[in-house]
Amino acid sequence: MRICGPKAMLGLAAFLGMAWINPIPCEGQTTSYLDHDGLTRELRSLVNSSDLAMMESLGTTIEGRNIWVVTVGDPEGPPMGQRPGVLVAGNLEGDHLAGSHLALEAIRYLIQNADEAGVQSVLETKVFYFFPRLNPDGAEAMFGPVTWNRRTNGHDRDDDNDGRMGEDGPEDLNGDGAITMMRVADPEGPYMIDPDNPRVMKVADATKGEAGGYKIYWEGTDNDGDGFINEDGPGGVDLNRNFQHEYPYWQSDAGKYMVSEVESRAIMDFALAHKNIAAVLTFGATDNLVTPPASGGTLAGARVLDLAAFADGSNEGVHDVGVFSSRGGGFGGFRGFGGRGGGGGGWLRGAQPGADNDPNSGSRPSTTVSSADLVYFQAASEAYKEITGIDYVPVHRTPEGAFFQFGYFQFGVPSFSTPGWGLPGTGTPAGASGQRGPQADSPQEVGGRVRTPPGGNAAGGMRPGGRGGMVQQVARGRGGAGAAAGSGSDGELLRRLEAAGVEAFADWTAFQHPDLGEVEIGGFLPYVTHNPPADQLAELGAQHGEFLVKLGGMLPQVRIADTEVTAHGGGLFTVEVQVENTGFFPTSLQHGVRSRSVGPTLLQLQVGADAIMTGADKTVSLGVLDGSGTRESVTWVIRGQEGGRVEVKLISAKSGHDTATITLR
Amino acid sequence: MRSLRLLAATSLAAVSMALPMNTAEVLAQGQSSDPEYTLTFAWDRWVDHDEMTEMMELMAETWPEFLTLSSMGKSYGGRDLWVMTINNPDTGPVMSKAGMFIEANIHGNEIQGGEICLYTIWYLMEYYDRNPEIKRLVDEKVFYIAPSVNPDGRDYFLDETGSGARTGHVPVDSDGDGLFDEDGPDDLDGDGTIEQIRKYVPGEGTHRLHPDDPRILEAVAPWEKGDWVLLGSEGLDNDGDGRVNEDPPGGYDPNRNYGADWQPQYIQGGSMDYPFRLPESRATENFLAAHPNIAGSQSYHNTGGMILRPPGAAWYGDFPASDIRVYDEIGENGERILPWYNYIILWRGLYTVHGGSIDWFSDGHGAVSYSNELWNGGKYFQSPLLSEQQAENPRSMIYGQRSRFFFDDFLEFGENFNDWEPFDHPEYGEVEMGGWGKFFGRINPRFMSMEAFHRNMAFTLYHADEMPIMAMGDTRVESMGNGLYKVQVDITNKRLIPSITARAMNHRVVRPDLLTVDGTVEIVAAGWVADRNRPGKTQMIDQEDLNRIMIRSGHPGRTTKTIEYLVRGTGNMEVTYSSVKGGTASTTVRVR
Repeated sequence: MRICGPKAMLGLAAFLGMAWINPIPCEGQTTSYLDHDGLTRELRSLVNSSDLAMMESLGTTIEGRNIWVVTVGDPEGPPMGQRPGVLVAGNLEGDHLAGSHLALEAIRYLIQNADEAGVQSVLETKVFYFFPRLNPDGAEAMFGPVTWNRRTNGHDRDDDNDGRMGEDGPEDLNGDGAITMMRVADPEGPYMIDPDNPRVMKVADATKGEAGGYKIYWEGTDNDGDGFINEDGPGGVDLNRNFQHEYPYWQSDAGKYMVSEVESRAIMDFALAHKNIAAVLTFGATDNLVTPPASGGTLAGARVLDLAAFADGSNEGVHDVGVFSSRGGGFGGFRGFGGRGGGGGGWLRGAQPGADNDPNSGSRPSTTVSSADLVYFQAASEAYKEITGIDYVPVHRTPEGAFFQFGYFQFGVPSFSTPGWGLPGTGTPAGASGQRGPQADSPQEVGGRVRTPPGGNAAGGMRPGGRGGMVQQVARGRGGAGAAAGSGSDGELLRRLEAAGVEAFADWTAFQHPDLGEVEIGGFLPYVTHNPPADQLAELGAQHGEFLVKLGGMLPQVRIADTEVTAHGGGLFTVEVQVENTGFFPTSLQHGVRSRSVGPTLLQLQVGADAIMTGADKTVSLGVLDGSGTRESVTWVIRGQEGGRVEVKLISAKSGHDTATITLR
Repeated sequence: MRSLRLLAATSLAAVSMALPMNTAEVLAQGQSSDPEYTLTFAWDRWVDHDEMTEMMELMAETWPEFLTLSSMGKSYGGRDLWVMTINNPDTGPVMSKAGMFIEANIHGNEIQGGEICLYTIWYLMEYYDRNPEIKRLVDEKVFYIAPSVNPDGRDYFLDETGSGARTGHVPVDSDGDGLFDEDGPDDLDGDGTIEQIRKYVPGEGTHRLHPDDPRILEAVAPWEKGDWVLLGSEGLDNDGDGRVNEDPPGGYDPNRNYGADWQPQYIQGGSMDYPFRLPESRATENFLAAHPNIAGSQSYHNTGGMILRPPGAAWYGDFPASDIRVYDEIGENGERILPWYNYIILWRGLYTVHGGSIDWFSDGHGAVSYSNELWNGGKYFQSPLLSEQQAENPRSMIYGQRSRFFFDDFLEFGENFNDWEPFDHPEYGEVEMGGWGKFFGRINPRFMSMEAFHRNMAFTLYHADEMPIMAMGDTRVESMGNGLYKVQVDITNKRLIPSITARAMNHRVVRPDLLTVDGTVEIVAAGWVADRNRPGKTQMIDQEDLNRIMIRSGHPGRTTKTIEYLVRGTGNMEVTYSSVKGGTASTTVRVR
């Protein structure tokens, strides 16, 4: 059977001028983004076409859509739960529909190429669990009459905590079907038009003699009359902020607590119930495949849209409205630490013996990839880049609370995330033009919105000179001091998008705003910075299918490689069993050991415990076995009957099962 | 275990027909000089979930106008997670008053908080008509009382062996072999207790008998030999893997499964895989989320004699200073209400807890939350003289390990110690099994229950009494000419706890207080009066909608603040202060 979909070279060629031609179209491939019903139909027909796949719903979202999981593997092999598995999830961020389609096309690739030797062996020994669209409610926003980058699910939240829910969403004021940005000439505004590219805005640098003169908002009006525009739109929770690792507490779009959402619970409970999952791949707005973790174990810094960050900044002060000092005058007054700390200076009295515990005691969760694990991330990255040819990721955000981070830091397996597409151009690597490191002095990005450092926003209240000068308005800021820092990459991104033929930007055009007066509406169009053109999906999806086959082949796989019996006479036997890991990954990453989340590899001799005279315990928990044929042997001395048969069981949580029967002679 | 030892049980038919008698009727009927109670429970015994259910149902039937019994959900084992709501509807619906959430028994073996909860419900109802302070408290506040948030653990402790009963009963694969809870302890001798096993091995052992009391085993020095070895607790290798008791029921800590500072298991053992994964913690969370008026919480645990406040972990960060002042005042008074108890920060004085319930109630719901660690070993020997002997005189019969035996022998007549008895163990041969029963140590002796229950209840009622109550005070109108008026309204929080804690404000988990105006006048400006005794400008309220002023920082405790409106026009102006936790207060000002 021919492999449909292009290989890497064709992908590159496509970028260099044939972008809108699918070189080898495969049967049934889609060429446009699909809504939930369309995606469901496609998945169902694929699954119905093959014995290799099955599909089930893990529940329904708030808006009543099914959360699909598609299991792909050859039923002829061992039971699915005993095979090493890969969990693949897409479209956790509601605006990243590319993820759904990459998953869909990867499923198609696996099914249609099942007769290829490399694919076949992986399908017989491994299992893939696909969550093509974890956030169907959020994704559906792409198909409404007016589009905007809706990242969140359908669980309405009071984003600005004003006692009203979803009362101030965006409006398509200029009727172009898209929510973009507004720039307003205002002497207090901290932003200026970039002299190098008049479509792009930058923060004026007073130390270089630059003056601002613009404020920037999202397109819309102040529906609830609170002085802020679009600060509490419809929805919800950004699912890729809702998981347990580096969870961003107390931010509305992160949910009320970790795994609070029906969608996140569905995938979490599934993962926890499938301990055989040995690797995770998510499609999302963070990359660790094109640029693997650096030598210190950190990911590349974020590259977000400055323009979106500036517009987000216009609402930064919303949570400071109504904060009053109880003593009158001054702002805040609640943040102080100290006090007597409890017990009137007597907190030691009667504490447990020896208590006055060290505040720094106790270990803390890891936040960087363990040094011993880096090589596996690098190996996966090399395979990924070779197969997909991607070397520049358009946008890239930091991953607080992202699912793939849970996958490594708490689930303990190799876990990857990729936007799943790239842009051509001379190659600064992914993330390189953004700030490095999660704590860089850059906008702290929160679910598609960027939080400026405290007091750092300067976009200002809506009405210039309105109720300015008030104590509690300090944090809302006024022109000049400390605007949201820009990464300066908007121009570069725009150039690359347009070089690839993507219509990415709505030119600034004058508009008479009901409250703000003369404004210009324009900026990046929704979705285009996060998703490739639809006609690239089939090709990209097939590449990711190919990558998944490669990844499946890298999973750890243990087997009983050899057994040896030595008879000592008198019914005494020495039994030696050799276990081998034939995969590439070890049976557990170093962090899988530290996090105690990777179950043991157990070797068990099926005899009564009293038959074992010396040597190993009846049940042995093997240490970590590296891949590429690493072996470990276990020896028992047992009493038994000449010619008797003894079974040896090998049970590994993530690396497969095996059994062997030994004859005592 | 099923029959309620209720003196009132027989008279209940009369009670349920006639509804509760009031004090006068009781007195008229009674012969006794001391109060006759409507329901007379025996407080010197521990009750399992069924009995607890019966008591709750009985109380709810007896005082139906105040009590509503509902279930927050089911435990893993299918038991109801009961919560009793105490509210006087004549003083307003539940959501119009601050709510006090009281939970207990999250650790299955920490049972007596459950009885304190039952005692509290009973006491508030019995004394409502007897004591004006209790009446006032019940009229002003709402109580939500959940006597057992781990009823599976409670019943396992009370009705079964109770070995390792801290956990809940969601099965966990503790040994990683793919099987769940398949090798727990076994009560081999059928005496209802999982005992310790010791074997006599002359000259080869690690322990010797205490010279004065052969029930006590003392470890010998490493270079010495004793005559005894300890072989662990009563059990078998149920799953034939060569290990004994390695995968017992449950195997996690239900009080590490809450949403604030939750940490994975390698940082916080027993936390389960994500917050609120357990049906019990999830049901509790859903209940709190549905009752945003909850402004205070108490979580009864044992043991140690402590009034603990969050945070559970130092690196999670302490409270803002204004909150600490509130915690300190209540906690320090708690030390006076509860002798032998010390008010301490959880992480500092006990140990670090990640993902505990009190952190979540405070950080996720804005409640001022404490956890009392009930019972303190100091109470066995309560005088300074005896405490000194116990600690410092090695020859005393109450020194060291002997003190427990002394107490058990002389005060409880040997009830708690199972004497060492010979046993033929299938794997270890001739051994002896014995040791302390499950009630000893963590749980107060029954005869000391009344004081423990009452003092702890008293502290929690004091805590509840300090939850916010918003009230409107004086109003003043002054004409400024040209149709403009200055209107001042005094607004008070009558209690110590602010209407929104600083922590809750920072976390945005409580809806801001709202100050709304209804009426015909136009509000031109508004501000807080900085100091009524010192003329000067007000602190301007810079909000777009002055008919709906948001007060995110809430109203501090025991404080009156004055708002000043500058208005145009005349007529009635209804000013309403609405607080999720402190209730709603209104006043009408006539502007003319």
